[in-house]
Amino acid sequence: MSLLDIKGLTIHYITHQNTVRAVNDVDLSIDTGKTLGLVGETGAGKTTTALGILRLIQTPPGKIVSGEILFDGKDLLKESEHNIRMIRGNDISMIFQDPMTALNPIMRVGDQIAEVVYLHGDCTKEEAKERSLHMLETVGIRAERSTEFPHQFSGGMKQRVVIAMALACKPKLLIADEPTTALDVTIQAQVLKMINELKAVYNTSMLLITHDLGIVAETCDEVAIMYAGQIVEYGNLEHIFDNPKHPYTIGLFKSLPSLDKDVERLSPIKGLMPDPANLPTGCKFHTRCDHVCEDCKAIEPAYQEIEPGHFVRCLRVERGEI
Amino acid sequence: MIKYFIKRLLWTIPVMLGVLVVVFTITYFTPGDPVMTILGTGYTPERYAAMAHEFGLDKGYFGQIGSYIWNLISQGSFGKSFASNIPIAQEIAIRFPVTLKLALLSTFFVVIVGLPLGILSATKQYSAFDTSLTAVALILCAVPSFILALLSLILFGVKLRWLPISGLDTWKSWILPVATNALGGIAVLMRMTRTTMLEVIRQDYIRTARAKGLKESVVIRRHALQNCLIPVLTVIGSNLTMQLAGAIIIETIFNINGMGMYLMQGILARDYPVINGTVILIAFIVCVMNLAVDLLYALVDPRIKAQYTSGKRKAKAIRKLRSAKTEVE
Repeated sequence: MSLLDIKGLTIHYITHQNTVRAVNDVDLSIDTGKTLGLVGETGAGKTTTALGILRLIQTPPGKIVSGEILFDGKDLLKESEHNIRMIRGNDISMIFQDPMTALNPIMRVGDQIAEVVYLHGDCTKEEAKERSLHMLETVGIRAERSTEFPHQFSGGMKQRVVIAMALACKPKLLIADEPTTALDVTIQAQVLKMINELKAVYNTSMLLITHDLGIVAETCDEVAIMYAGQIVEYGNLEHIFDNPKHPYTIGLFKSLPSLDKDVERLSPIKGLMPDPANLPTGCKFHTRCDHVCEDCKAIEPAYQEIEPGHFVRCLRVERGEI
Repeated sequence: MIKYFIKRLLWTIPVMLGVLVVVFTITYFTPGDPVMTILGTGYTPERYAAMAHEFGLDKGYFGQIGSYIWNLISQGSFGKSFASNIPIAQEIAIRFPVTLKLALLSTFFVVIVGLPLGILSATKQYSAFDTSLTAVALILCAVPSFILALLSLILFGVKLRWLPISGLDTWKSWILPVATNALGGIAVLMRMTRTTMLEVIRQDYIRTARAKGLKESVVIRRHALQNCLIPVLTVIGSNLTMQLAGAIIIETIFNINGMGMYLMQGILARDYPVINGTVILIAFIVCVMNLAVDLLYALVDPRIKAQYTSGKRKAKAIRKLRSAKTEVE
């Protein structure tokens, strides 16, 4: 059985003017010790999905409309506020996108790590402190820097602190929301390597949110491609990288520079992501798709398994036309 | 840090000298004559001249201000009151504690009422509680404290007879002055806390704190509150100094024998040493309060503390650079 099983998750942001349909009928699952990459453009609903798992959506305006999130067999959406707090930071923890702002600026970094350990660890303050020092050293920061404040750290080191904090309680599931986007390339590699190593040590599953397919290829076991709040294609690395089916996935690869082929220009996907408050009918991607047909504009494609473990949401793939 | 403290303390000297010159100049050129006020009608020119000489009023502008400052620096003396002939310092020593107690009590209530209401208002944004509190706060901000004082005096003192209308004899008589003095401050602090809190609880690190599994109350107390203390401290500090200035009105209305009333009497009688002495003292307290607030900033926020010490580090680095240069030469 998989560790995390999301079924039909739908999250809307409801305001007076309109309803932003950020996440629509998303199915995902992650097995123990595995890494799932969630890939998509900015605004595709990746972070909202992640926050939904931890029930950290700001309400109002956010609202989890329907669906279930089975974690270890329990539906997180039905748990009490107290139980979900016991899970946050302990069983499921999160690395946030921007390390610059993710740490409390007026609290010593050691205390920020010890806080989460003390909360879930069933230990004394001294033991929590001890653990926080150990975690800092694990992520490659000298223990004596634990009494310093976030402004005394560089961006990469802050992200290490955030990672130390997220892994301090040995979570079963780590949600990493673009953990390397705010970092420069050399630091990116270091941080990714570290996350991978620590993940192996603690046998943690990971949901890696990114828009970088290179990172996905290096770190993930399975990939979900998200577009306009929906999973449009899902499969393991071979399915997605060697045999992509959905026109959007294919478009993503075409827009990447390649060393093998000598091309004059990259071919980006034309147009922009539709306004999530005003999504098109039928297939959400039909406004930008090269293979669009009349039916695409009217019929909402189903999420179909085209080969074992490889799901695609496309009418024309379903019909075998492309 | 200590260097910064001393530097700031020394800065109060020119500030107070400036205040002194301004106040002295204004009182000097204000129409009215203290000698005539004291002698009343029917005095001889000789008596007038003798008294003016005694007060030092025959010396002209620069002579007067010069001797005032000289006395202040050489003897630490604020001079004697024209009317009562008692040293100003002695009079202030009796009255200042009353005013200070009033200001501290008011500020105490401003903090214990305004801060929690502001936090509640922010955490329950747009609720009925928040909206009604906002309406009340706007009214309280708009009504000047003397109107509030007079209205409450009429209602609770004269009509209902619940509370005494003047003096400070029992604990009951403190209620109206403290309340009317504090209400405006409560409204301002509440609005400030609400605004700052709303900004802070949308920050990423608050989401991080929530993702740790902390209780919402702990998130607010441990992570949000401390981060919104800077503007809140500013309001509290300026509130305390404003209370001192507001004491003039409140003490006059409630007939409280504090520094405010003393200043008021001094102004009415053209008793220049009284005016100068009290205003300088108030200016000094304002300076000290500002310094105290600035030091508290450093205590609350390590980033500000780093700024204070950076001057020292810079100086050290420069010294190092210089010594390296001389070595090369």
